[in-house]
Amino acid sequence: MHWWLPVELTQMAHKVDTLFYVMLFVVTFFFLLVEVLLITFLIRYRRTRTNQVGAPVHGNNVLETIWTLVPTLILVFLGVYSVRYVYALQTPVATPNVIHVIGHEWYWEFRYPNGVVTQNDLRVPAGQPVLFDITSGDVVHGFYIPAVRIQQDAVPGRLTQFWVTADAKDVGRRFEVPCDQFCGAGHPKMIAWMTVMSPADYQAWLNQQKEKSPGASSGS
Amino acid sequence: MEAVWQAPQQAAARERSFLREWVLTVDHKKIGIMYGVTGLFFFLVGGLFALLVRTQLLNPAGTLFSSQQFNEFFTMHATVMIFAVIIPVLTGAFGNYLVPLQIGARDMAFPRMNALSYWLYLASGIILLLSMVFGMPDAGWTAYPPYSLQSPGPGIDFWVTAVHLAGLSSILGSINFIVTIFKMRAPGMTFHRMPLFTWSMLVTAFMQLFGTPALAGAVTTLLLDRHFGTVFYNSSAGGDPMLYQHLFWFYSHPAVYIMILPAFGIISEVLPVFSRKPIFGYHAIAYSSVGIGFLGFFVWAHHMFVAGMSLQAGIPFMITSLIIAVPTSVKIFNWLATMWRGAVEYTVPMMFASLGFIGSFIIGGFSGLIVASVPLDMHLHDTYFIVAHIHYVLFGGAVMCIMAGLHFWFPKVTGRMFNNRLGYWSFWLYFIGTQVTFFPMHFMGLAGMPRRIASYPAEFQLWNVVATIGAYILGLGTILIMINLVWSAVYGPRVSSNPWGARTLEWTVSSPPPEHNFDDIPVVTENPYQPYGEPEPQPGFAPV
Repeated sequence: MHWWLPVELTQMAHKVDTLFYVMLFVVTFFFLLVEVLLITFLIRYRRTRTNQVGAPVHGNNVLETIWTLVPTLILVFLGVYSVRYVYALQTPVATPNVIHVIGHEWYWEFRYPNGVVTQNDLRVPAGQPVLFDITSGDVVHGFYIPAVRIQQDAVPGRLTQFWVTADAKDVGRRFEVPCDQFCGAGHPKMIAWMTVMSPADYQAWLNQQKEKSPGASSGS
Repeated sequence: MEAVWQAPQQAAARERSFLREWVLTVDHKKIGIMYGVTGLFFFLVGGLFALLVRTQLLNPAGTLFSSQQFNEFFTMHATVMIFAVIIPVLTGAFGNYLVPLQIGARDMAFPRMNALSYWLYLASGIILLLSMVFGMPDAGWTAYPPYSLQSPGPGIDFWVTAVHLAGLSSILGSINFIVTIFKMRAPGMTFHRMPLFTWSMLVTAFMQLFGTPALAGAVTTLLLDRHFGTVFYNSSAGGDPMLYQHLFWFYSHPAVYIMILPAFGIISEVLPVFSRKPIFGYHAIAYSSVGIGFLGFFVWAHHMFVAGMSLQAGIPFMITSLIIAVPTSVKIFNWLATMWRGAVEYTVPMMFASLGFIGSFIIGGFSGLIVASVPLDMHLHDTYFIVAHIHYVLFGGAVMCIMAGLHFWFPKVTGRMFNNRLGYWSFWLYFIGTQVTFFPMHFMGLAGMPRRIASYPAEFQLWNVVATIGAYILGLGTILIMINLVWSAVYGPRVSSNPWGARTLEWTVSSPPPEHNFDDIPVVTENPYQPYGEPEPQPGFAPV
């Protein structure tokens, strides 16, 4: 049963999760604060025979200032803290393996550097940066790899990108690559699988695919 | 102004036909009631679609309905709930009924245009209903091209027409509110003496006026692309699908605030009355609405972080999306402080407003901060986490407030009191149902379950079943509320003009108010949030 963040396939996924836990901590703190105050006030200041009228209080400027400034400072901090990750997410990497990703109704097409083309079958070498060049052949799709915590829409006429470096510890594992931008009747079934391979196996697989049918598709 | 209300008074001499009483009416109270009744009918329609969606998702294989049918159901659910329920009920029903009464006016500035707004809204709703016969839209309430361009059947065309009419109704209504609030206030009713619900309606009206034209542009170009050979969104001919998303969200993010600001206004009226205290921080609450209205126009692109814009371009929108939480949290703290040292009475509207609204809405606020962060949105965008977020805002927020407001002003509108026992039952069903339905969706989203899918991997089944059970609980609660309100409108005990001991002007006139509202226009000397004096003899309502 899945009910929390999935496996962290990359270092970046780990960093994003750290950011998530920082933000979760902050919002949980304030969530508990508000709920505790709410329930305390509801019970402590309920109407009773002796407590028929509330205090004649109109407001307090010191309190207003505090609960304006404190959230502002915390939110600005969270924003600035997030900005670091925004830049990290798209720092270009040297000499990546480029895989072209094309969304179709309703399957993913992957084009590898040596001309191999697959459907719904994505293979990446562990430990090496892989850059996805993402576009669409028809409508808007969403190229989403939950294990790396990143998605980009596949938009016709536009190229979107992100890169991943899969951890070596995950060699041999397969990860779901669903479409998560609504694209019609086949949307729920538009799922590719990403297999992490050792660099040697990856090369061997590429060569083998090329020999089998140069330039043609291999079914999933 | 005199002539405006003399004519109806003379007509009152003879028995009026249904046609004259309702269809031809220009009375803001009757128009408000018509908005409310129509809105509640569509609430049942939209709720039925929600139950169909949740029933399909009991089973991971999703075999009850076809994928196409499922897509039509969730599209209809969102379209009906947003354009035919929440916006018209908050602005059309509550706004129309209350604003003239609260500012001491005898009607809206343009009564006939007000009636036109209602009839346009009804036409929009009927067109949505007709699509159930001729072919329902299936592209989600966002209708992104190119999918919405190639979507089969007339569904999208019905959708575009309905959105257009609802938008025109909104624009006319907003002009009416702005003029009414600026020009029709009673003597002495300065801006700083205006009730907070009226404040929130003023800001909402400006947002509707400035935002809705962008939506009109978006759906018009969609229609042109579909039928008249234009290429606004055809990338192979030089168009760009992202243009639509910008136009759409330039309206539809402000629309989220259009759906929550009047709801905030309702809370600001209910809390002080049942705490027997002045509202805490009147000016802070009023001006934080203005802050939300302003900032609300600078956050739209946070819906598009992953849509193809560069991530750096998302940074300013991330900052504004985080900062817009400040005026909202100012309101939350002021509401809490209103209950502090109060004398809180656990009436049904108070339960919906305090535990129901504050207790649930803040979850939607906090999850909103998480998805406002660009790196976290990279993971959570278009997953069930977003579904959880918007439902905590729109159901835990807006709908809870609508229920608080319905019960609060029910005695004013009908002159009768609702059944308390049924009221408490429906509150608890709503409160528990909200958490059971929407909280598990956070877990599904964190684990990476995409939204808008008719079938899903089996490992997500448990939380989906829990959410569906919650939806049935909410359905039961809704039926109880409807039974209570309909039955009590006919058989409930009669009430005096001010059963709750409230201070705004609508409670100074009879329940229901006379057609011309005020025999003599009141002269206002202070804002309505003054300290309560000696204990009043009869809490609750006094039968006449």
